[in-house]
Amino acid sequence: MLQCLTLVTHNTASPNLVKLIPLVSIMLLMLSAFMMPLLKKKRHLFGLAGGALAILMVLSFVNVAYIYQNGGYYFDIGHFPAPFGISLRIGEIESLIALLFAIVDLMVTWYAYYSLEKEIKESRIAFFHTMNLLLLASLLGIVFTNDIFNGFVFLEVSTLAACGIIVVKDKKTNIKAGLKYLILSSLGSGLVLMGIAFIYSLSGHLSMDYIHEAMIANLDGKQNTILISVILFTVGLGIKGAMFPLHIWLPDAHASAPSPSSAILSALVIKAPVIFLIKVFYRVYGTQIIHETVILDLVLMFGVMGMIFGSLFARSQKELKRMIAYSSVAQMGYIFFAIGLGNTLGVVMAIYHIVAHALTKSSLFLAAGSFIEQTGFKHIEDFRGIGKEMPVTLGIFTVSGLSMIGIPVLPGFISKWNLAMASIQIDKLYLLIFLLISSLLNASYYFPIIINGYFGEENLDGKVFLSKSKPIKQLLPLIILTVLMVLVGFFSGNLIEFIERGVYTV
Amino acid sequence: MKSSIAKHVSGLLLPFVQVFGIYVILFGHLSPGGGFAGGSILGASMILYRFVYGAEASDRKFKYHYMLKIACTALIFYGLIKGYVFIGAFLGWHNPVGTGTVGSLFSGGFIMPLNVLVGAVVAITFYFIATLFEEGDFGNADPHQ
Amino acid sequence: MQTLINNYMFVGAVIMFGIGFMILLLHNNLIKKIIGMNIMDTSIFLLFVSLGYIDGKEAPIIVGGVLHHNGYVNPIPTGLMLTGIVVAVSMTAFMLALTIKLYELYGTIELDEIQNIRGG
Repeated sequence: MLQCLTLVTHNTASPNLVKLIPLVSIMLLMLSAFMMPLLKKKRHLFGLAGGALAILMVLSFVNVAYIYQNGGYYFDIGHFPAPFGISLRIGEIESLIALLFAIVDLMVTWYAYYSLEKEIKESRIAFFHTMNLLLLASLLGIVFTNDIFNGFVFLEVSTLAACGIIVVKDKKTNIKAGLKYLILSSLGSGLVLMGIAFIYSLSGHLSMDYIHEAMIANLDGKQNTILISVILFTVGLGIKGAMFPLHIWLPDAHASAPSPSSAILSALVIKAPVIFLIKVFYRVYGTQIIHETVILDLVLMFGVMGMIFGSLFARSQKELKRMIAYSSVAQMGYIFFAIGLGNTLGVVMAIYHIVAHALTKSSLFLAAGSFIEQTGFKHIEDFRGIGKEMPVTLGIFTVSGLSMIGIPVLPGFISKWNLAMASIQIDKLYLLIFLLISSLLNASYYFPIIINGYFGEENLDGKVFLSKSKPIKQLLPLIILTVLMVLVGFFSGNLIEFIERGVYTV
Repeated sequence: MKSSIAKHVSGLLLPFVQVFGIYVILFGHLSPGGGFAGGSILGASMILYRFVYGAEASDRKFKYHYMLKIACTALIFYGLIKGYVFIGAFLGWHNPVGTGTVGSLFSGGFIMPLNVLVGAVVAITFYFIATLFEEGDFGNADPHQ
Repeated sequence: MQTLINNYMFVGAVIMFGIGFMILLLHNNLIKKIIGMNIMDTSIFLLFVSLGYIDGKEAPIIVGGVLHHNGYVNPIPTGLMLTGIVVAVSMTAFMLALTIKLYELYGTIELDEIQNIRGG
């Protein structure tokens, strides 16, 4: 398959058409987003969205295959080359994340085809698709871009679109959660814009490579300005990426949104700012400057706090979706922990955990959405004995939950193991204790649901086998996500090697 | 707000405001202005009409789903033209965007059609935002939905 | 002290940013929060535009022949802030629309009162 694809790409004329893929995928999503309000029938809406996402997935796969063979590349947009115009930079990491986003969004849209109109009004489905595709386009823009101001604009678009898919359900709590998210996010984007102003005044450029060169060239006496700007970026992007003390918008937003929106919010929306943060750290400032500041230690500390307190909060939740939302805070803690370690393995594991968590958390949210849709309950204690009524869905929930806890072979274990290795590399052995405590805490809130779901005489009493199960075609997207998640665990060696090739010089 | 003074004054004023808005859009590539500035002037005139003549008259004149269709079509055409420019730049085609010469309207290549599309989108979006503040929702303004 | 006076745009922008930030963070009234956000954004726009301004140079509009490349102020920050203003406008509009809806549903725009109303 790979051979075949590369043959195709080698035969093209001198300007390599593969390099158009990033631009074409963003434009495809935006154009199909604005075609949505012109359509009326539900079948047409989902057909257009699914078609666009399927094409996007194929394009992203070709892109990954090309980069696997030939390495990353730059793409200048318009007739103005890099320092004046906007350019995109697509390396191993960017192409992999784009493929991940395309797959997850396609699966979520597939799931939404069967269940979306049970949660939102019929007339809102077009709005949901517009916002969803616009959101994905802006997230891809954040991932691809090589220009920090362009990244900021895409961040704002993604904030508005994410708020759109929260408030698409017309409930009181949704409006409240959406407004809370919007207020905190606008706080974050103000900080990011201030950081960009500081960087622009220091270097006079907006393109990441040129900023980096200018900063390295005249570093003396600018340490304070650099420290202020890097803190502005970290806090601003930390709000959008749910870094621990700044996560307060997340549980409301993720728990009240319709299940497909929750899956997209948890799997994709909080990941893109983290990618942007990694790019700011290692492409804009560079390893040398970042290691001179205290910022990595701060990120590490907030990551550890997120790992522990996110799990503690998740333990005390009574609603299933709120629990999973707090679990996202804990998992984002792992990602910030990995960034904060500051060595190559840490950054690689941050990217790997982003991939693993996106697949796992989307299938968890969709499984929880199926439970809630079929039973009508919201609280965890009402789901006792659900394993007899919906065995396949709970099976998917179990596999994903085990990955969160960190059972060997599943991706959660791989990332925890490698994070432990990375902590040993930099001689910070006490970090292993936090990893262990966090794993135990994860187990303490995922296991009770699974055990009470499958076992226990009084739990299973009066439940009819398969009575509430969904037909298999509706479960297929969930099964595909879970299989992909297991595959990410199985082939972790190859994947980590691929990420390592593209990791920014650390 | 249905005072006859406001009606008469705005009836005199609106054509001039709209012509000025169209002028700013059309001459955006030759003088200060452009799609966003001109579009916001046009949008302001539509909002003024809505405030003075009432929501029903305004809804009759600016039908929600026609406006939505115009805005979406304009956005799609904007995307297609920009896509043509960007992809053409990569493939080494001729640059269809020029600087324009003062005094001749049809110069500057694609900038004028792009300005017209942006102007349409901005005007309609501003009008929709005003509607949104009044109704709390887009869909209610439209009897067809 | 002298550096503060020399960089008076920075100082002014940071003070204004702080005012907006604190309003956005501490006030419970949603309309005041939105005003705070606008103050915060405006301070950054002012800072950016002042970064591009060079004393005594002309606006970058070509009238009657091109001057030397040193003859104009830097147009890029102004252009960027045009984008920034559009973004801030759409953000404000969306927040105001949501506030109106929240007022219809809860009957108040004070966030602490909304938090006290249980069950939504």
